[in-house]
Amino acid sequence: MNIIEVKDLLKSYPQPGNKKETFNAVDGITFNIKVGEIYGILGPNGAGKTTTLEMLEGLNDIDGGSAIINGLDVSTNVFKVKEIIGVQLQANEYFDKLNLTELLILFGKLYSEEIDSDDLLKKVDLLGKSNAKPEELSGGQKQRFSIACALVNNPKILFLDEPTTGLDPQAKRNLWNLAKELNAAGMTIVLTTHNMEEAEYLCNRIAIMDRGKLIAEDTPQGLIQKYAPEPQHLASQGNIEDVFLALTGHTLRD
Amino acid sequence: MFTSMQLHLAKVFLKIFFRDRQSVMLNLFFPLVFIGAFLFIGGEPDPIKLGLVNNSTNTISKIFSDLVKSDQLFEVTEGEESDLKEQLLLGDQTAIIVIPENFDYLEKTSELRLLLDASQVRQLGAIKEAINTSLLSIERELRNSEPMFSLKIEDVKARSQRYIDFLLPGLLAFMLMNLSIAGSGFNIVEYRRRGILKRLFVTPIQPKDFIISIVLARTLIVLMQISVVLGLAIALLDVKIMGSFLSLYGMVTLGTFIFLCLGFCLGSIAKTQEAVRPIVTSFTFPQLIFSGVFFPISSMPEIVQPFAHALPLSVIATGLRDIVNDGASLLVFNTTTLGIVIWIMLSFFTVTKFFVWKEIAS
Repeated sequence: MNIIEVKDLLKSYPQPGNKKETFNAVDGITFNIKVGEIYGILGPNGAGKTTTLEMLEGLNDIDGGSAIINGLDVSTNVFKVKEIIGVQLQANEYFDKLNLTELLILFGKLYSEEIDSDDLLKKVDLLGKSNAKPEELSGGQKQRFSIACALVNNPKILFLDEPTTGLDPQAKRNLWNLAKELNAAGMTIVLTTHNMEEAEYLCNRIAIMDRGKLIAEDTPQGLIQKYAPEPQHLASQGNIEDVFLALTGHTLRD
Repeated sequence: MFTSMQLHLAKVFLKIFFRDRQSVMLNLFFPLVFIGAFLFIGGEPDPIKLGLVNNSTNTISKIFSDLVKSDQLFEVTEGEESDLKEQLLLGDQTAIIVIPENFDYLEKTSELRLLLDASQVRQLGAIKEAINTSLLSIERELRNSEPMFSLKIEDVKARSQRYIDFLLPGLLAFMLMNLSIAGSGFNIVEYRRRGILKRLFVTPIQPKDFIISIVLARTLIVLMQISVVLGLAIALLDVKIMGSFLSLYGMVTLGTFIFLCLGFCLGSIAKTQEAVRPIVTSFTFPQLIFSGVFFPISSMPEIVQPFAHALPLSVIATGLRDIVNDGASLLVFNTTTLGIVIWIMLSFFTVTKFFVWKEIAS
């Protein structure tokens, strides 16, 4: 059963340097996400991954097409959609002068829910930091706290926007385990990433975006079989990174 | 009336504000310095340090010297002209009076010399005037002549005539403007720059919840800070509030609402943290000059008076002055309350029309 149905989704912005013309940051993409899946959106910088996520999260207006989440049209039921999703953003900034417990209670109140902050902090392995301020946390701890904030409403779907960017291997692995645990408990997870290993390790299915279009979608193995170059002299087969480069090219993006 | 989400968020904003001790102190600093200054100058003025050189030996000059010395306006040091001149140059004396050798007022007019160092005397005109007035009264005493009249000043409305009574309401209005704009305009830009607004708006919070919480928290902050300044002014400067406190606090609340709305607009115009400061300054500075905070609008050139009267700070300052000095009520309809109603409508219309949440949060 699909929990997210995206059809011909479109987002246009004025062309930088020429405001009269527009370009499509997201150019009519279509995909469905099943209940309980971990769905990854891969793409180079500027591919439209975050814009797609922001439209699904109700942070950005949808210019064309439709997005249905748990049977609710995002364009017309944005606040109801926000009640059933959890969002971890790329930027992890919070109000000054508040500790982790106070921030979690605040986020709970924004969903009109009384939460057990210790339980949430335990879930992300930050119970010992309940009185700390976010700026006192390490990079990995900040990302875990960010996920804790996204879990205050016990969401059906968790959106993770490049959750492991800038983390060391241990912190990265720790966060992957957390995502796996949440998914095992029944949560659908949608994540964007640059990290091929992450996509291959975590995702049940992967969509690859480039220049606003969805250019491939399948399971990691399916993509490897379809798109990875034939191994010539190497005994081992290619990986998702090979698929990514084969599809989007080697040219450096901003 | 308020949802538990709005009340909790308002409580959080209050907590954030009061945990920032530096900000609390800085917000109180400006008005407290003013009150301190008035406390200082409001007491007995310091006597003028006057050097007295008596070159005469007659009885008249002796009586004259004694009368000068007994005048509380002066702190007199007698001595030689050369010694006192040195003290004058060092700033230890404000002025020196030199009584001539042939001092006598019965036969002819004697010339008293007043030596001053104009570069060191800031209020030269006032000091010369004070010395002149004192010397004239001493002369009258010597001649045993009664003054022709005395001047008794009475205000037509029988209110206090002190400058602090005029200044305080304007100062309160200026303080509430700054606190309100800092609470909305500056905060919005800062929260947007750091992505905090974006984080808030992925939750089901609606823009109105956020606005109501900020308005609620900021109004309480303004009322508390104004109460501190007002309390000190009443206790230390003997300021009398002629109107009711209900009207006074009502006026402060309405003023806070107007400036919060205008602050949100300024915050949405400014795209960056660097831009918000000049934008806010260009809004607040003309008001500080033209809103009659420090001196009455009627003393300004006639051509700017209509503009000055129309400024929101003028309207609030006048409204507060009417309540504090004249005992006006907020409920009585007059040109000031009309001005407030117009500014409430104008600021609310502007904020709802031009404040784009999607842009603010993105």
